[in-house]
Amino acid sequence: MGMSVDLSVKIGSKTLPNPVGVASGTFGYGSEYEELLDLSCAGAIFTKAVTLEPRVGNDIPRIIETPSGMLNSIGLANAGVKKFVSEKMPYLKKLPCAIVANVAGATEPEYIQVVKELEEADGLWGYEINVSCPNVKEGGLAFGTDPGQVERLTSTLRKLTSRPLIIKLTPNVTDITVIARAAQSGGADAVSLINTLVGMVIDVKKKKPVLAAKTGGLSGPAVRPVGVALTYRVSRAVSIPVIGMGGISNADDALQYMLAGASAIQIGTTNFIDPRAPYTVLEGIREYCVGNDIDTVDRLRGIIS
Amino acid sequence: MLKQLQSQVLSNRQISADFFELSMRWDKTAGIALPGQFLTIRVSQDSVPLLRRPFAFAGFDEPEQTASIIYQKRGRGTEILCGKQAGESLDVIGPLGNHFPVNDGQGESVAAAGGIGLGPILFLVNYLRERDVPVTFIFGCRNSSYIPDNTAFKTASPNICTDDGSVGFKGNTISYLEQNIKINDKSVLYGCGPEAMLKGLSGFADSVGAASFVSVEQVMACGVGACMGCVVKTASGYARSCKEGPVFSAKDIVWE
Repeated sequence: MGMSVDLSVKIGSKTLPNPVGVASGTFGYGSEYEELLDLSCAGAIFTKAVTLEPRVGNDIPRIIETPSGMLNSIGLANAGVKKFVSEKMPYLKKLPCAIVANVAGATEPEYIQVVKELEEADGLWGYEINVSCPNVKEGGLAFGTDPGQVERLTSTLRKLTSRPLIIKLTPNVTDITVIARAAQSGGADAVSLINTLVGMVIDVKKKKPVLAAKTGGLSGPAVRPVGVALTYRVSRAVSIPVIGMGGISNADDALQYMLAGASAIQIGTTNFIDPRAPYTVLEGIREYCVGNDIDTVDRLRGIIS
Repeated sequence: MLKQLQSQVLSNRQISADFFELSMRWDKTAGIALPGQFLTIRVSQDSVPLLRRPFAFAGFDEPEQTASIIYQKRGRGTEILCGKQAGESLDVIGPLGNHFPVNDGQGESVAAAGGIGLGPILFLVNYLRERDVPVTFIFGCRNSSYIPDNTAFKTASPNICTDDGSVGFKGNTISYLEQNIKINDKSVLYGCGPEAMLKGLSGFADSVGAASFVSVEQVMACGVGACMGCVVKTASGYARSCKEGPVFSAKDIVWE
């Protein structure tokens, strides 16, 4: 053996050290996991969503386990962009992995203002624009289901930054490729998918939904085949890189996404269960490449026609 | 020092109608656990059940390097846990969360456990007594079949309350407190159990200006403060039961 594999992934004008990221909302701001995982193994940390003002989040209960998955309705709880920059960035920017701020807003000016303030912060690698949160009333999903709004928002944000701009897409649409192409037309460097699927669990004894917000976002192994299929479709509809996610718990799952057309992947719900997964998934991808005589991970996405 | 460990099960046995006590080897690199803190266990490598399950420490022996939990069989996760045999390995993360503050000994300490809230209170009672802090220990449950048959419980001089009066005081722990325990503004009350009980304990303490600390139970996803799923409502906003908690000053909690 001893064959070295080029794990780097080019997105826009920059390069990720490897294709394994941790998904927004599942990894806090990194420090929560520092005792459980060598954070330097991650290619990228996609932060908890950052909004202009602090948000307390949704009513409780916010989470419920489902068969091979979970529903969450956190509602973008976060301390706002100013505290993100002053309290979270000093720690994050010291990490060797790429730090991607997940940006959310209720209105276009809100997204704009958050990105403007983050542009002033050192050490950020890029942005993942969350136009697909199913758990807030306005903004979020309302943007992500309308190709016109996605294209306009993307092109507006494009003018504000030269850092990589990744648009995070929702699966809760009739045709995700239309939204992906809108992001590309607006100047996105990549798209990431899938955000969670809208779901509901009802407590039949109490005769009401378990979650206070009634619905939540479904994640975990249950959604993986949906994510793989949509990654396959989107990667053939756009020429920019696709970052795949949804139910990845091990290297085989990640490889399904990469063979489907993803240039990189994110681990989400699995971080809660197996915090070492980013390391084991990366090692598994490397071994697979070595075993299959693949010298660069970028070749994985072209294998399946 | 929070760690993910492969901990060997030392024993796992039924101690009442549906309570079990599991004792495990504790790797000293993970540091020590204090009363109120918890650990999470991945009970299975399968995706059902998916999430790790949180359990409060019911005992911790630093020199012996052992830790124990008391749990109730009530779903798929705990059912699988019941089947773990001595010698098997458990995927454990801990110690997590904050802990009960230790009474400085100025006033009386009272610790009340309702049902499966027993674990952390039992640990606390033993911990306080080892430090020569006297504490009155109250345990309430439905009926005699729920009274634990384990040494740690039996040697902790519990004042037992049962809903049906089959053993000890007839009524719940709050009625017991109101009828049998004199407290004052220097007293410290501790509690873990159903929400109605914790709310009652808080009210009982407030009536004389005593301090009260309760350990809350919430569904958790990550257990390490990342997901914001397990929050409870407090006077200063939502707080994570896995990070700012699970122990809160009862007067800070906004009860439903």
